[in-house]
Amino acid sequence: MPIVKLYANLRLVAGVKEITVPAASLKTLLSALVTEIPALESHLFEDGQLRRYVIITINGHHITELDTLLAEGDQIAIFPPIAGG
Amino acid sequence: MTGWAEKILDIDLTAQSYTTYALDMEMARQFVGGRGLGARLLWDLVGPDIDPLAPENVLIFTNGPLTGTGYQTSNRFSVSTKSPLTGTILDANSGGFWGMQFKKTGYAVLIVRGKAARPVWIEIKNDAVAFHDASELWGLRVFAVTERLGQSNNKRNVLCIGPAGENLSRIAAIMNDRERALARGGPGAVMGSKNLKAIVVEGSERPQIEDKDLFKFMLYETRKLLAASPLTSQALPEFGTVVLMNIMNNIGALATRNHQQTQFEGAEAISGEELTEKYLVKNASCWACPIGCTRISKTDKVEGEGPEFESTWAFGAQCGIDDLPAIIEANSLCNDLGLDTISAGSTIACAMELSELKYMDSDLRFGRADLLAPTLEAMAYRRDVGADLADGSLRLATKYGHAELSMSAKGLEFPAYDPRGMQGQGLLYATSNRGGCHMRGNMVGPEVLGLPKLIDRFQVQGKSSFVILHQNSSAAIDSLVLCKFTNMGVADEYFARVLSAVTGVQYDTGDMIKVGERVWNLERLYNLREGFTRKDDTLPPRLLNEAPTEGPSKGWVVQLEPMLKEYYRGRGWDENGVPKPAKLAALGLAGL
Repeated sequence: MPIVKLYANLRLVAGVKEITVPAASLKTLLSALVTEIPALESHLFEDGQLRRYVIITINGHHITELDTLLAEGDQIAIFPPIAGG
Repeated sequence: MTGWAEKILDIDLTAQSYTTYALDMEMARQFVGGRGLGARLLWDLVGPDIDPLAPENVLIFTNGPLTGTGYQTSNRFSVSTKSPLTGTILDANSGGFWGMQFKKTGYAVLIVRGKAARPVWIEIKNDAVAFHDASELWGLRVFAVTERLGQSNNKRNVLCIGPAGENLSRIAAIMNDRERALARGGPGAVMGSKNLKAIVVEGSERPQIEDKDLFKFMLYETRKLLAASPLTSQALPEFGTVVLMNIMNNIGALATRNHQQTQFEGAEAISGEELTEKYLVKNASCWACPIGCTRISKTDKVEGEGPEFESTWAFGAQCGIDDLPAIIEANSLCNDLGLDTISAGSTIACAMELSELKYMDSDLRFGRADLLAPTLEAMAYRRDVGADLADGSLRLATKYGHAELSMSAKGLEFPAYDPRGMQGQGLLYATSNRGGCHMRGNMVGPEVLGLPKLIDRFQVQGKSSFVILHQNSSAAIDSLVLCKFTNMGVADEYFARVLSAVTGVQYDTGDMIKVGERVWNLERLYNLREGFTRKDDTLPPRLLNEAPTEGPSKGWVVQLEPMLKEYYRGRGWDENGVPKPAKLAALGLAGL
């Protein structure tokens, strides 16, 4: 099953750093994730769309298409808006 | 004309005298302030025949028309000089309170030239300038000097060097307000070479604003935008800049063990999340800053500002160290000794690799957190192994016959981002006028964070246009002088409008970008005059030829050559990277 890693304030909201979520695509994974942890929904979505500046990577590669299919063992990282340098 | 302080204070340390004269207002309109104005003045004052550590080199401290007005982040100031580390033109800017106080003395520019016969410190109270004996301060560290000279954030502000500057370390910083740094490129060594320990400013003048109604409106609008942006209202204040650690590691662009790898297994242990959970005492802010990204951190041994992301990386992933308290303490020690944290950490990492390969005889090894503090002490005082490290990684690696192990461009050590996973960052490093630096148009925004929009970080073709845009924009912001984080919530257009409101000179967004382009080209001309050529626009062989063998950047090296050709064309330069006459004429630089 895909492994989801959460960062920054998403960890505080979810109360976990990592969670395994059964899903075949990124879209269904995000849906299952906010069902499992409802408090995350407002941090990830606004008016049904992914919030601006939320960053999602699969195995370290940026993903912008929510229809992206997932494979067994894929690591999904979700970052809220972050900045620095 | 309002906004600009309109006066230059010109101090000759050799004669212990000073003069004041009017700022050339046409020059001010063209170069605005800060970095731009400093570069223009340096062009006239310091030519290629002058050694950076000779009395003939100068330190040019500049503020900008917005400084001290109360506009958001209008606290910053800049120093320009010829770098003793790189030999390039150098400017470094810093936040805190000193810049605002400097503006209140009524000067736009402070030029320091010559060399005092004995250590001195300078006190500027409005029009009054006093030279004081610094014999008793020489040898003291930054925190002690700052306290002794009466630092009081809103009233009296101290800028000084520590032992590293006194001992002419070419990676020495100038520190202000105790823990703020004009860090990169060794300006602390220039100050040390002049026997100048400190500059204290105390002022009571108020910056004049031409269009007060428009200024108030811009203040209101900017406040609203910064509060609405999740970047400036949440991300930066909640986790500070160190929050970048995990994402850079996740995407395989976190330089590790002197850039031998692009992911660090200990990244989580030195992340912003870990810092916030275990070591954060509270946030702090520079003057007039509503963002408040500064961390006040505490371990069993120290409590103070920082560490920032780049410092945490330099002593962390770059040195293979996952001991966050040791990193916090190394950061604090650098502030007290007056060392640039990025160059210090990366130079230690270079020594670790040289030692592991037995090119150099020392105990330094990747992961040896216990050696960070003693090595930094040795560097600042040029003792033992520190004598070799005090002048940065390129001189160190060259001494031991392996210059290729210095992770630097033009001799300035890189920050955290491994450009094999960020092609644009590679071009940025290679073309940066002060050497390997992320503050000259950081591509982490578009290539990693999606600011303002995500672009493919591995894309090569077309990447130069983004780099040029970001370089010009950063040069403009550095000339205002504002904090670049403001730009995460506020578009360039707002900077042009508030500059117009303060000065009464009409600037639009295009004008601001042109200011940045003008500054960039002038800096290029300066480096060309110093003898730098196309061959210096390059990167270490490791980044050009050695691809990471694992992680998301596996198989990638920096495709510099095609990007560089495209970059020169985009800049209006010839194939050797020399600005064409038409470009210089369009920027008002003809004849230089």
